[in-house]
Amino acid sequence: MTILVKFFGDLRKKVKNHEITDALPLKIQLKSDGIDTIADILKKYAITPEETHHLFVNGVYSGFDKKIHDGDRVGIFPKNMALLYKWYFTRKNE
Amino acid sequence: MPKKMLRVNMTNLEAKFEDFPADFAALGGRALTSTIVAKEVDPLCHPLGPSNKLIFAPGIVTGTAAPTSGRISVGAKSPLTGGIKEANAGTPFSQKLARMRIAAIVVEGKHVGKDYYTLKVTKDKAEFINANKWVGKGLYNVYKELFKEYGNKVGICGVGIAAELMGAASGICFNDPEGLPSRYAGRGGLGAVMASKGLKFIIIDETGAPGVEIANEEVFREGIAKLRNALTTHDVTKPGGALNSYGTSVLVNIINEAGGLPQRNFSAGQDDRSEKVSGEVKAEEIKKRGGVRPHFCSPGCIIQCSEVWTKPGGKDPVGVLEYESVWALGPNCGIYNLDDVGELNRACNDLGLDTIETGDLLAVAMEGGLIEFGNGKGALKLMEEIQKKTSTGRILANGTGFTGQAFGVTRVPVVKNQGLPAYDPRAIKGIGVTYATTPMGADHTAGYAIATEIMGVGGTADPRDTKKSDLSRNLQIATAAVDATGYCLFIAFAVLDIPEGLQGVVETLNGVLGANLTVNDVPGYGMQIIKTERDFNKAAGFTEKDDRLPEFFLKEKLPPFNEVFNVPDEELDKVWGS
Repeated sequence: MTILVKFFGDLRKKVKNHEITDALPLKIQLKSDGIDTIADILKKYAITPEETHHLFVNGVYSGFDKKIHDGDRVGIFPKNMALLYKWYFTRKNE
Repeated sequence: MPKKMLRVNMTNLEAKFEDFPADFAALGGRALTSTIVAKEVDPLCHPLGPSNKLIFAPGIVTGTAAPTSGRISVGAKSPLTGGIKEANAGTPFSQKLARMRIAAIVVEGKHVGKDYYTLKVTKDKAEFINANKWVGKGLYNVYKELFKEYGNKVGICGVGIAAELMGAASGICFNDPEGLPSRYAGRGGLGAVMASKGLKFIIIDETGAPGVEIANEEVFREGIAKLRNALTTHDVTKPGGALNSYGTSVLVNIINEAGGLPQRNFSAGQDDRSEKVSGEVKAEEIKKRGGVRPHFCSPGCIIQCSEVWTKPGGKDPVGVLEYESVWALGPNCGIYNLDDVGELNRACNDLGLDTIETGDLLAVAMEGGLIEFGNGKGALKLMEEIQKKTSTGRILANGTGFTGQAFGVTRVPVVKNQGLPAYDPRAIKGIGVTYATTPMGADHTAGYAIATEIMGVGGTADPRDTKKSDLSRNLQIATAAVDATGYCLFIAFAVLDIPEGLQGVVETLNGVLGANLTVNDVPGYGMQIIKTERDFNKAAGFTEKDDRLPEFFLKEKLPPFNEVFNVPDEELDKVWGS
């Protein structure tokens, strides 16, 4: 089973061995082994929490400790693509 | 020279300057338009008859050196909702008006007969010029010709073919700094109100204007420095920040991930084809095509979220493609091609249509079987129906509710007959509460300034939680206050994170007005505006039953996360305690 991870904007550059040829998000099917939370995904790609802003798991605005399960869809937005959510909503953690 | 008001009587083509009433001294923008409408317009009048009045008012600090403050409010009784309406836009027109010390233009009466007029306003004169030669023409060419005729330093406001049809989807169009007819006070059919009076354009020539009077220069300058500092350092508003890099369309991918980007007339909340019309794709295309990005809607803006979208090769500039416009004319119609979206946006600007209402009505027309979802070229053909003033065109020009009724559609996304914007209320329930309860009809900007900190409520909420009355009320009150200042709503992101920035905003207001307001005065000021508007709507016949979302949002689950709008009616009624 895998997790669909979508990297947006400049964060795409953090994913090695993927050439960026357009402005579409980068979609990675990630093996779920060893991935327990969003923090684990960030660690895998050497992304620091400060480089991110909005994080979504299956449409839920999430924090770094949100648990990830097989088949989940995770959206990770960089700091310079933040709008709306941080100012309205709390991040869901588990 | 004190501020004045220009009263324009279209019945007998008279315009005269009046003293600005002393009890209006602290009012600007929405505070002023709504106050004048409430005071002078019979709530039961026909919106397109002689008793309605159309008010234009720049904000309190508009026209000064205060950054990002080029907004103008337009108010009247709305032919779309039947209630009070304020719509606003960022445009150099507003700044010129303010520098001439014209606090408001009040257009009243109704010209008998079929003639249209241009009102030309200079420092101490207002004159009427027959405008019949522009009737039936698209605004892109007309604005070009008007700038040739009146000089490229004037400001232009006008209405298009949709307004000539008295269409309730028509907006009022202001020029951007390039002279394009692309900055709209779009919502609520105010274009039709202007056209109903026989007024086609207002030309502002500020030659010799004295500039905005600043009562306390020192306080004003200190306030500007604080606000400027907040705007240039905050991640959302700074150069290279979210709005500056991608424009408001940065939200396409964000709201799609959240499952709240309405697809095909609000039948799903997520579709990854939306990635093709995202802010990132648009920004890259603009660079390739030789358009302009970033760009400001009015001089002096630090955020600069605007842009000039063009056809390939930099041809035929359209102006900005805002997030809500891209959504309305794109994913909401099942269209995932930026060139089609751009041409539909051009058609809206050219015909004088509100892009949100147009996207909603096109999607409803698609559901009603006029054309298939996703048929961009077909949608452009429907725009031609409006341009040709056919019967179908006349139906469409009257908005989403009217179109739904004409074509037997039951899933019609409107509140108070105004089409819903780009955030599905089933996924983002707080915005749904604002759609339901704002006096404006479904309007995202009515509760967009995020105000929990200002109002002292504290904390943020789960978007799917149903306890949203406090949040929505506070947002609406704060937004009403911002709409009076002339500042763009987007300063809110910076000044709510950086308290000195908010202090700076208040200091700039004090500097202009010679007042001693504090941050704590903001809620009372905003609440007074909302109260004025709600009292008008009540007298026009609105009850709490009008503060509801359409039935299908309550019953139909929104894929892929299968939410419904389950905020109870009692929670909606708690917003205003009605």
